[in-house]
Amino acid sequence: MSKHMITLNVNGEDHDIVVASNKTLLEVLREQLNMPDTKYGCGTGECGACSVLLEDNSAINSCLTLAATMDGKKITTASGLEKGDKLHPVQQAFIDHAAVQCGFCTPGMVVKSVSLLAKNPRPTEQEIREGLEGSICRCTGYVKIVNAVEAASKAMAGTAG
Amino acid sequence: MTELKTVGKSIERVDIKAKVLGTAVYAADIKLPGMLHGKIVRCFEHAHAKVVHLDLSAAAAVPGVVKVLGPKDVTSKTYNQSVIDLMASKTEGAMLGDIEEQHIFTEHVKFWGDGIAGIIAVSEEVAERAAKLVRVEYEPLPVYITPEESGHPEAVQFTPHKPGNRAFQLPEEMFPGNALGWGDVDKAFEEADLVIEDTFYTPKQKQCQMEPNSYVALYDDSNRLNCWTSGQMPKLVHEKIARLFDLPMSRVTIHQTVVGGGFGARLGMVLEPEICAMALAVPGRPVKIQQPREEDWLTSPSRHPARYWMKIGFRKDGTPLAVDAKSVNFKGGYYLDGSALASTTGFWLQGMYKFENLRYKGESYFTNQPVCGAFRGYGNPQTNFVLEQMIERACVQLDLDPLEWRRKWHKETGDMSWLNATPYTSCALNDCLDRGAEVIGWAQKRKKYANQTGPKRRGIGVAVGNHTSGAFPMILEHTTCTVRLNEDASATVLVACSDMGQGAHTSLTQIAAETLGWPIEDVRLETGDSDANGFDIGAHASRTLYVGGAAIMKACQDARGQLLDRAARILKVNRDELDIDNKTIFVEGEPERSVSAVDICRTGIYNFIDHATGLPEGELGQIQAYVSYKPDQNSPPFFATFVELEVDTETGEVELLELVSSHDIGKAIHPAICEGQMEGGAQQGLGMVLTEEMYFDERGFAINNSFTDYKMLGASDMPKMTSILVENGDPYGPFGAKSVGEAGVVTPVGATANAIYQATGIQFTQGPITPEKILHEIRKRGLTYD
Amino acid sequence: MSSRVLTDFDLLLPGSLEEALEILDRERGAVTVLSGGTDLLVMMKAGFEADKVMSLALLGDLNRLEFDSATGLRIGARTTLAQLVDSPEVRQHYPALWQSARIFATPQLRNTATVVGNLLRGSPAGDCSAAVAALGGTLVMATAGGGRREIDIDDLWVSYGVTARADNELAVELRLPAPDSGTASAFKRLTRVNEDLAKLNVAVCLQMDGDTCKSARFAMGCVAPTMIRLPAAEAIVQGAKVDDETLARAAEAVQQDISPIDDKRSTAEYRRSVAGVYLKRAVQQACGFA
Repeated sequence: MSKHMITLNVNGEDHDIVVASNKTLLEVLREQLNMPDTKYGCGTGECGACSVLLEDNSAINSCLTLAATMDGKKITTASGLEKGDKLHPVQQAFIDHAAVQCGFCTPGMVVKSVSLLAKNPRPTEQEIREGLEGSICRCTGYVKIVNAVEAASKAMAGTAG
Repeated sequence: MTELKTVGKSIERVDIKAKVLGTAVYAADIKLPGMLHGKIVRCFEHAHAKVVHLDLSAAAAVPGVVKVLGPKDVTSKTYNQSVIDLMASKTEGAMLGDIEEQHIFTEHVKFWGDGIAGIIAVSEEVAERAAKLVRVEYEPLPVYITPEESGHPEAVQFTPHKPGNRAFQLPEEMFPGNALGWGDVDKAFEEADLVIEDTFYTPKQKQCQMEPNSYVALYDDSNRLNCWTSGQMPKLVHEKIARLFDLPMSRVTIHQTVVGGGFGARLGMVLEPEICAMALAVPGRPVKIQQPREEDWLTSPSRHPARYWMKIGFRKDGTPLAVDAKSVNFKGGYYLDGSALASTTGFWLQGMYKFENLRYKGESYFTNQPVCGAFRGYGNPQTNFVLEQMIERACVQLDLDPLEWRRKWHKETGDMSWLNATPYTSCALNDCLDRGAEVIGWAQKRKKYANQTGPKRRGIGVAVGNHTSGAFPMILEHTTCTVRLNEDASATVLVACSDMGQGAHTSLTQIAAETLGWPIEDVRLETGDSDANGFDIGAHASRTLYVGGAAIMKACQDARGQLLDRAARILKVNRDELDIDNKTIFVEGEPERSVSAVDICRTGIYNFIDHATGLPEGELGQIQAYVSYKPDQNSPPFFATFVELEVDTETGEVELLELVSSHDIGKAIHPAICEGQMEGGAQQGLGMVLTEEMYFDERGFAINNSFTDYKMLGASDMPKMTSILVENGDPYGPFGAKSVGEAGVVTPVGATANAIYQATGIQFTQGPITPEKILHEIRKRGLTYD
Repeated sequence: MSSRVLTDFDLLLPGSLEEALEILDRERGAVTVLSGGTDLLVMMKAGFEADKVMSLALLGDLNRLEFDSATGLRIGARTTLAQLVDSPEVRQHYPALWQSARIFATPQLRNTATVVGNLLRGSPAGDCSAAVAALGGTLVMATAGGGRREIDIDDLWVSYGVTARADNELAVELRLPAPDSGTASAFKRLTRVNEDLAKLNVAVCLQMDGDTCKSARFAMGCVAPTMIRLPAAEAIVQGAKVDDETLARAAEAVQQDISPIDDKRSTAEYRRSVAGVYLKRAVQQACGFA
C-alpha cells in the first residue's frame, strides 16, 4: 500500500492529509475528516448519495474517486453549500417543496441539483428529470424534487437578475 | 369546531433542515472513541449446505483482528428476527405456528449469503482481509427454489417445527377448511354466467431503502448493552434483544437513529442480533457493522415472491357471485413473520368487493432464497395485480364499463372490512374515482384507445384498493404517550413512534400542537431512545398517524385539561368556559379575565412561597399527562389510480405517460406529506409491475443484487403524476385522518397492468411485465383482444 | 461478493506521459491503468485484484478534444464523456457519438468516465464503443521511447474484455475521420430503465448520395462477446436506395450477424426480436426520416 500526502480543500478549508492509496474520496471525507454529510448508498456510482461538487460545479461520485488523485482540488459537499446561516437556494427550495423524506439521498441530491443548475440555469422539466438520473430517491417518486429544482432555478434567476 | 391552526397545513417538516444540510445522523454516521469494525462472514459458496468444519484460526491471526466468532462463541439461543410474533397472544401465536429458529451464526446455510461467523477488527479493511481467510468445509444440500421442490416428501427439512417445509397455512382452528371467506363458492360457480380463472406470479421485490444497513453497539462499563440502529420498530427490538441475550430490558438501550427509509425492510431486526453479539464479545469497545449495498439484498427481508391462483364467477349483469383463490408464497430460508403475508393477501381480497361467496387459502413454503417479510402494502399490491386484472377481464367479456363496475361493487361504509370483523368506518371511493377520472380524462381516452392501429398503442387503466390504519383487530395495537409542559409552557411529547422518512414526526407534532393550542415551535417530540419513552409498536401497518396520532391527541387533551383546571380555579369559573389563545387562558367572551399558561406552568415548578400571603405562588406540580392507548376502531383508506401509457409493439417497451391517484384519507394533517407518500408509493408500485425483481440462478445465487442490475424507475422514467387528496373526514381518526403510508404502492400495480391490457389486448399474469414478456406474447398472439 | 472497501494496492501517479510509459514498460502487465475509474473501481470492489494501479490523473495534456474539418476529431485518453456532450462540434459532426455520450451512464459518471476507457474496457455493451465502431477510427498507442502505432477500431476488440492493447502500451488518443456532407450517423439503445447499461445498442454511419447509400458501417452491442459490425446488413444497404424495403431486408439480415445470449439484462430471444427493429430505426434517425 502506498501513502500519499495531499492537500484537499473541502468547503473552503484546506486539509493537509496523508491518504492511503486505496481510500476513496468518500471514505476520506467520512472517516478521516469526520464529515459524514456525504453518504455511502451503493459504492458503485449508481445511487448518487456520495455526490460532491468540484470547483467548476460539476458533480462526481466520491465513492469512485481515489482520494490520492485529488491533491490540490477544491470540493464542496452538502453541508458546505450554506453561506453564513443562509441556505443555498436549492436547499431552501427542497425545504419549501417538502422534497425530502428519509433524507438519505438528500445531500447528494442537493449537490446534484446545484450542478444541474450551474450547467443549465433554466432547465425544462424534462431536462431536470434527465439531469437527476444517477441520483436515486426511493421515497418521493421525484415529483417534489423536480418541483424544488424548478423553483430553485427561478429563485436563482431572480437573485442574479 | 374551531378553525384549525396547524393541522391541514404543509408546514416546514421538523427534520428537514438537518437533512438538506446533511447533518442528520444516521446509524452509519455514528462514530465512538475506540470503535472497532465488525464483519459478518457469509456463505457465498452455496445456497443450501451444512457447515461441516469452520476454521477461524487464520482469520484470527491477521494483525488487527480483535476477535473471531463462530456459532459456539455466541449465545446458542434461537430467535425470530421479525417482531410480528410479539403482537399475537400466546394462544394465537401457537395456533398460527410462530417459531424462533434463527441462529446468530448458522451451521445450516439456508440461502446464498447466510451468516456463518463474525470478525471484529480495528478497521473494515482488516476485517475484510480476515474474512477471506476463513476456511469452511461444507456439505452441499439440494437447492430448493420453488414450493414443489422444498415441499417434496424427501426434501431436506429446514426446521423440525415445520414438517414438509410448509412454513404456514391458514390454521384449521381459526379458519375451518384452512380457508377464510364465506358462503358456498362451489355452488355459486354453478350458477354463474361467466367463470374465469388464471394463475399469476408476483415477483420478489426489494425495498431498496437508500440507507444501507449499519449498526453500532457497545456493552458499556455500567454493564448496559447499547445498540444504535435505524430499525423502524425499536421498542419490540428492545424486548427481542433483551430476551436473546438474557438481559433485563433495563440493561438494554436501543438508540434509534434517523431512519434512511424502511418500507418494511427494517420491520423487526436485521443485523441487531449480530452486532449485539459482537459488542458483548468485546465489552467496553464499540463495534460498528456497515454492510455493502450488495448484502442488503440478501439480509433484509424482501417482498415474497408468490403464485396466486384465482377463479371468479359473475352473473351477466356483473354481479360478483364468487371468488376462489389460493396464494402460495416462497418464504425464503427462515420463518420471520411467516404467518402474516399468506393471511393478509387474502384479507385484502375479502375487503375489496361485495362478493356473495368467497374462499381464500394461503400457504407459505421455505425456499433457499434470502428471507421475505414486510414490504409496503403487505400482500395488497400482489392482490391488486391479480384481482384487478381478473375484474378487468370479466368486464371486457361481459361488456361492462370497468369504472362503473367498480363504483357499483366495491365495499362501502358499514360493510365488513378486510378482516371481516369490523365495519368500514368511512368510504369516499366514488369521489376518488370521479375526481381521478376527470383529471386524467378517463372517458374520452378509454374510448379513443379502444380502436388503434400502428406500432404504438396507448392504453388507460384503473384500479381501486383499500388498506388499513393500524393492525387492529388482527394483532396488537398499543401506543403510550407522555406529555410534559415545561417551565415556559412549551410541550415535550414523549412517544416512541418512528419516522422512517414518511414525515410522521412532523404530522404528529402538528396533532400535538393543534390539540394543545400551542404554536408548532413550542412542541417537541422526544423519540428514538428506547429507555426514554414508553411502549409503542413502531412503524408498520400504516398505524403511526392513526394510532400514534390518537394517543398523542388524548395525552395532549389531558395536559390541556389539567392546565385549564388550574386556570379555572384561579379565575373561579368552570373549565368549559375557558379558551386558550397565544398561551393565554381566558374566559370566553371576556378576554380581559385571563391567566398566562406560562405563569401556571412556571409556578407549578418554581413553587415559591409568596411572603405577603404565606401561600404558594401557584399550584404545585409540573403538568404531565400520560396515556396508554389501544384503538377500538380501524378506519381503512380507499383509493383509486389511473395510469395512461404507450406500448411500442415492435419492441414491447412501455412508456408511462400519466398517473393520477386519488386517496380517501379522511383528513390530510400535512397535505404535502400525504402527496409524498402517494408519489413515492407510486414509484415502488410501478417498479413492481414493470421492472423490479430479484432473481437467482439454478444454484440459488442472486444474479442482480446491485443497483447496476436491479432497476428501479428513475426521475426520467416516472410519468407526470397528480395526487388528489379526498378529505371527507373519518369519524374515528385523529382530526378525521386515515392512513396514507402504505396505500400509495397498491393501485399503480393493477392500473398499469390494466392499461397494458387495453393497449395490447393481452393480460400479463407473470410480473414484472417486462418488454421481453410483452413482445413474446405479441409475437405469439398478435394484437387482438381475446 | 462486493466490498465497501478496496483492497491494498500501490498507486502510481506519473507526472508525465513519458514517465507513465516507462512504468508500463517496466511493469509489463503488472500494473492496471486507471483513467476515469468508473469501471475499474467497481470491478475492484467486486473482487478484481490489482497490486499496482497507475492513475492518469496528473496527465493534464491527455484531455484534449479537437475538431478539424479536414482531419477529423481527436479525443485524448482522459477526455470525459461530459466533454463530448458539451461540444457543439461533436454534436454537429458526429451525431452517433454525441447521442451515445449524452445518455451514457449518469451525469456524475460522465464527468469522470472517459471515451477511451470505455473502448478499452472491451465490453460488448459500451455505448460510445458502439458509436466509435460505426464511425470508424483509430486508437493511437504509445510506448516508451517514442514508439507509436495505430489500432483500427475494427481490430481493437479481441474477445470479451480483451483488447489488442499490448501491456506496455498506453492509449493516448482516439482519432475519428472527418465527415463529409453526405455522412449521416445515429445511435440508439434499449435499456430496462433510462439510466442503465444497454440491453442492446446500435450505431450506424452512412455515406449518402441523395437517397442512395454509398457505404455503411453498422455496429451493434450486447449481441456477441464483443461489440460487432453487421456485415450482412451493411451489404444490403450499401449501394442501395435507403427505403422501407431496403431497411426491412437489412433488418432481416441482422440475424446472420448476431449471436446473442441470455444475461442479467435481457434474453437472447428478445435481442433477436428487436435487433432488426433497432437497426432500422437507427438508420431512419440518421437519415432524418425517423
